[in-house]
Amino acid sequence: MNKLRNLALAALLSGTALSPALAETLEVAIIGEPQTLDPMMSTQDVVSIVTQHFVETMYTFDSQWQVAPLLAEALPEISEDGTLYRISLRHDITFHDGSTLDSADVVDSLNRWLSVATRGKGVAEQVESITAPDAHTVEIKLSQPYSPLLSLLAFSNSAAAIYPQEVMKDGDLTAIVGTGPYKLVEHKPDQYISLARFEGFVPRSEPSSGNAGGRKQVPDEIRFVPVPDPSTRVEGLLSGQFAYADALPVEAFDRVSASDKAEPVLLQDFGWPVWAINHKAGLLTDANIRKALQAALPMDDMMFAAFGDDKFFKVDGAMYPEGWPWRNETEVGLYNQNDPETAAELLKAANYDGTPLRILTSRQYEFHFKMAEIAKMALEQAGFKVEMNVVDWATLGQQRNDPALWDVYITHSPFLPEPALTDLYAPTSRLGWSNPEKDEILQQFTAETDMAKRQDLFGKLQGQLLSDVGFIKIGNFASLHGKAKGLHGVDPSPWPAFWGAGAQ
Amino acid sequence: MVQYIARRLVGMVTVIFLVLTIAFVIVRLAPGDPAALLLGPEASVQDAIDLRQKLGLDRPILVQYASFVLNALRGDLGTSIFFNQPVTQVLADRAEPTVFLALFSIIFAVVIATPIGIFAAYRRGSFLDQAAISAAMLAASIPSFWMGLILQRHFATTLGWFPASGYGGPDATFLERMHYLLLPSLVLGIVNSALILRFTRASMLDVLGEDYVRTARSKGMGELRVVLRHALKNAAIPIITVVGLTFALLVSGAVVTERVFNIPGMGNLVVNAVLRRDYPVIQGTLIVVATLYVIINLVVDLLYAVIDRRVKY
Repeated sequence: MNKLRNLALAALLSGTALSPALAETLEVAIIGEPQTLDPMMSTQDVVSIVTQHFVETMYTFDSQWQVAPLLAEALPEISEDGTLYRISLRHDITFHDGSTLDSADVVDSLNRWLSVATRGKGVAEQVESITAPDAHTVEIKLSQPYSPLLSLLAFSNSAAAIYPQEVMKDGDLTAIVGTGPYKLVEHKPDQYISLARFEGFVPRSEPSSGNAGGRKQVPDEIRFVPVPDPSTRVEGLLSGQFAYADALPVEAFDRVSASDKAEPVLLQDFGWPVWAINHKAGLLTDANIRKALQAALPMDDMMFAAFGDDKFFKVDGAMYPEGWPWRNETEVGLYNQNDPETAAELLKAANYDGTPLRILTSRQYEFHFKMAEIAKMALEQAGFKVEMNVVDWATLGQQRNDPALWDVYITHSPFLPEPALTDLYAPTSRLGWSNPEKDEILQQFTAETDMAKRQDLFGKLQGQLLSDVGFIKIGNFASLHGKAKGLHGVDPSPWPAFWGAGAQ
Repeated sequence: MVQYIARRLVGMVTVIFLVLTIAFVIVRLAPGDPAALLLGPEASVQDAIDLRQKLGLDRPILVQYASFVLNALRGDLGTSIFFNQPVTQVLADRAEPTVFLALFSIIFAVVIATPIGIFAAYRRGSFLDQAAISAAMLAASIPSFWMGLILQRHFATTLGWFPASGYGGPDATFLERMHYLLLPSLVLGIVNSALILRFTRASMLDVLGEDYVRTARSKGMGELRVVLRHALKNAAIPIITVVGLTFALLVSGAVVTERVFNIPGMGNLVVNAVLRRDYPVIQGTLIVVATLYVIINLVVDLLYAVIDRRVKY
């Protein structure tokens, strides 16, 4: 009854008919059940989207993807040599269980992050110690300068989440307790994850910007509903059941645009499909064959086949879209050559013997498969023999771990705020891409703290990527989300947050 | 009768054991690593190895099988890899929507199919008979996902009579939850009514030509009484068989409809479990469904004796 009354009142006040989606409970359709509610343990975007509402990190990103403090008082004091980070904590932070945040919680959380989180493990070797000189200060001592550290501490994906000491036991969590503006109330797997406003939350005083600044607490309840079928997400949005729906099929754009209850949210330059290349074994360990592969691929046709309408993609060889600080044009001429003759010459130079190029892909993401279909034709025209291995994502996830089983596997990534967060550049990654020049540039890039120099180094890294064909970026693609008409306060993002969402 | 039931129960246990063995072997023969899936796309090979070890998936397959069978005998179906909850609890959470969905669907199917089937048989060869047969063929030919999408779009999105999907939030009452199930039940009811209609018609046609029906009519008994009391009672056995098996199929096989309407039932669970390579959940669901299947079969067989006194065990 209360719901109906509030709804009627809201409609009366605004003079417009509000859909049930904008009642005090905000229902958000997500693409499926998150694998875990502990954001340290997963790199899945859906895990980040949900958990960022109740678990927080020391730092976060503002609307320009700059690192900004969250649980930390301010950006850290970094020693001259770049190896000591001194972080002051905010004093007024309460966990959802009523305990108060202090440096012991942070030290334990960060140590756990270094030992269990994928991204934490990646930096663990360089961390000498994490200590707490006093109750509100934490010091991180590195063995050598590592500039992506702050971005890693800020990222909500495989996050350096801060938990109370009491809930961490032998690397496991006994409960999900955070400091966020919303707290976890009920989790019914495959049905909903219900979050309620946390009354003890004290927002930051700075104006809100992206995930940084003062986080609001607008809806009484945020309810994430896993809806794996994309057309069911569309119908749920159009019927007014959901206030927001994540990852809609691009074919639904016109219907959502024409709806009187919902409108599309098009997140341009959301991510990039990537052809991951096996440098450890097989055909593509030969640089000429890698170059032939790159020369033969018709990126524009592949992107068109995958996304259907140029509203939803851009054929772009630079590793970052326009507007990002990492954008540069080094060697982009090598992108989208679509040149079967050059490819054939390179194959000849490599004495290619007709061994099939094994492409491992999945139909879980239909655009991966569509791109591969088009590429297969172009590659065959250039003289490659191609063997497509189309499997489900679970199988792909397993098979790509064995370098003997594939030459290329297809995946995608959002544009990450810090290039070093993309582990494909690292020689230790599954791809095993390594050459002395590139490894040296990467080492300098991660050690450098000056932004201008880092941008320059990233240009060189991109040059190496395209000239040595470390992996292949196919283009930029957009992501279609949908929101109820009249819903405000959600910034378009690969990881949208809903604490400020409501009808205005 | 007691001997018959005992014999059937022994058979049941054998069937269930076979099902779980086959399920165990098949899911492990399929490629795909639950650990890699759980960790996400950027996890390293070592992370996956560590998690596999933690989950016990690195143990020899025979050791895993022995431990699975021994635990199953104690009623412990293991722990879901994905949910980190006992499989029995995961299944119990999913049983309610599926059972009600199957129940409503079978009610819809019976209510739609049996009167039409009886009438079609009674008016054999008439226009209405032809129309009923054609409608049944049409209903059987329409894929349930397509019908689901069409009805969802029309009745939920456009008209707003039903929720488009789901099973209600934490504050939903029992009646509200049932409201979520009406539209998908209608879809399954229509799809499954086709078979029941055809069985009802065929079975009624058989008995309407029997001597005792003619005798009843010659004694001056009213047509309605002849059809419902004499003919339908004797035609009931094949109808009950098909209704029973359809119900069992609905409980185990409403996968597509549960998916389209995002109902958190057992069908949806098993699809997700396969995609997630959640072995204990796949095995547990198969055991429960196989058990249910054989129980329903037994109940149907026992009902024969209740309906038709000539049937003796």
